Formats: sequence, structure tokens, C-alpha cells
Amino acid sequence: MAFLEWLQHLPIFVTIAESGSIWGYPTILVLHTAGFALVVGSALVVNARLLGLGRLAPLSAFGPLFPIMWAGFTVNAVSGFILFAIAATVKAFQAIFWIKLSLIAMALGVTVPIVRIVKGAGEQGVVPARGRMLAVVSLVTWTGAIVAGRLMAYIK
Amino acid sequence: MPVEALARDLQNTPVSLFLQSQAPWLWPLSETLHFIGLALLIGTTGFFDLRLLGFMKRVPLTVARQFMPLALCGFGLNLTTGILFFLALPSQYVVSWAWWGKVAFLLVAGSNAIFFETTQGARVLAIGAGDDTPLTFKVVGAVSLVAWFAVLYFGRMLPFFAEIR
Repeated sequence: MAFLEWLQHLPIFVTIAESGSIWGYPTILVLHTAGFALVVGSALVVNARLLGLGRLAPLSAFGPLFPIMWAGFTVNAVSGFILFAIAATVKAFQAIFWIKLSLIAMALGVTVPIVRIVKGAGEQGVVPARGRMLAVVSLVTWTGAIVAGRLMAYIK
Repeated sequence: MPVEALARDLQNTPVSLFLQSQAPWLWPLSETLHFIGLALLIGTTGFFDLRLLGFMKRVPLTVARQFMPLALCGFGLNLTTGILFFLALPSQYVVSWAWWGKVAFLLVAGSNAIFFETTQGARVLAIGAGDDTPLTFKVVGAVSLVAWFAVLYFGRMLPFFAEIR
């Protein structure tokens, strides 16, 4: 608790939370939403391909979406940490926050083997059954993270 | 402002009053669907836009276009939930700069997409794997990317932008 208090009262986070400027808290929220669109948007496209959409293009041709995904994830790790820090003493005790983080961890956990399957596919278009299963888990966990993230504004 | 008076009247219609009375569950549900629609829409159109710009050349443009029904699903989801938000509290939105900004960029994104489908649709077939795209395609892709992220920006800024006076 002492750590959470210290974190939340660091001058930088107090400024972001209380400045009232459009460049403070609102901009962090915008970055978190844009980063979310990049991460989940690219994950959706890759997962749709794994599930059979656009199978006339080689699976590995979708590999360039991963750098976009990681860029979005970096933006969201940083903006998400700031959003946590400015309300650390509250968020740390919100069950829905930890549910959201767990779902993100699971989604990332399945992204690692998905990257391996896509990049290792070469010119072939066929997706192994394991790839389809991972795509379903990825879709479910990202959707769950969205639901949990939105509910953070409602469930205290 | 006449539009404000109109919004006030609309806000007291049975539909709006019903939506307001259901707010405790309807609002969070619609917001969640709005975010899911956002990911569908920006993910798939963004992918298509990148191909229009000449990235990811190993994907034939016709294949990238096969993802567009997902974009339409996202758009339908967000149009429905968006209309719901508006109908519930119209006077909150019509006085907001951010809302008009969002509507303006929706019109840009929409007319850009309609322009592409009606005048350039046939040329999509010619862009196979490895092919570069013509300049028109690159411009349409860039406009689409900027416009959709502007829609996202103004949407997220709705609670924070100043009111129009």
C-alpha cells in the first residue's frame, strides 16, 4: 500500500491526473485506445486468416502485422501503466483490473506460438489444426480483455 | 442554437426516455460492443489500407478485400450502438466539438470508401501478389487510415472536449 501511495503521488502522475489539460489524462486514454486498435485489430486479421479467411494468400504473408501488434502493445503497456499509476491505490484492489491483466497475459501467451506458426509457414497456405485452436483462444481472450477493460469504468 | 432545441425535444421522446431508463446495463453493454466493433473495423480496414499503400505485397489485393465483410460487421455494430448513444442523450452530443469532429471524419471515411468501391473497384482485380498499387489507391489508403484514427480520436475525446457556445 505504501508503494501504491508513493507511486500515485509521484509529481508526474499527479500532474497527468490533475492538470485538466487535454494533453494530460485524455491524451493517455486516446493512446491506450489507439494502441488497443493496433493490437487487437491486427490480432483479429491474423486470427481470421488462421481460421480460413483469405486462404489464397500464403499464411506467412501476414507476418508484417506482428511488428504493428508489438508497437501497439508497447504503447499500451506504457499508457496502461500510467493509467494504473494515477489511480494505483484504487485499481490495485479492483478485481476486474486483475481479470483484465490475466486475460491480456493469456492472449499474449497464445500470440507467441501463433507468431511461430505464421512465420514458419513459408509459401504454404494450409493452417495446422493447432493454429485454428490458438486463433480461437486468442479471439476469446482479447474479447474478454475488452469486456473487462470497459467494465473497469463500472465495477468499482 | 436551433439544433440544441431539437435535441432537447428528441431527448424527451419515449424512445430516448426508455433508453435512459435502461442505462445501468444498456450503456456498459453498448460501450463494450462499440469497442469490439472498433477493433473489427480498424483492424480489417487498416490491413486493407496498408495493402492499398503498397505494404504487405505478398497478399493479393483481392484477398485483402475478402476481409472487408468483417469491417462491415464492425461498422454495423458501431453504427447501431452509436445511434443508441445518440438517441439516449442527444443534447449531450450536439453541443460537443468532439462529436461534430467525429461525424465529420466519419463522412470523410465513408465517402472515401464509397469513392473507392464505385470508381476503383474493378481495378482491384489487377493487383496480384507482389504488385505495387497505383497512386490513387495509395491516396485512398492514406485518407482512410487518417480518417478512421481521427474518428477514434474524437470519439475517445467526447467526455473531454469543450462545449460549443
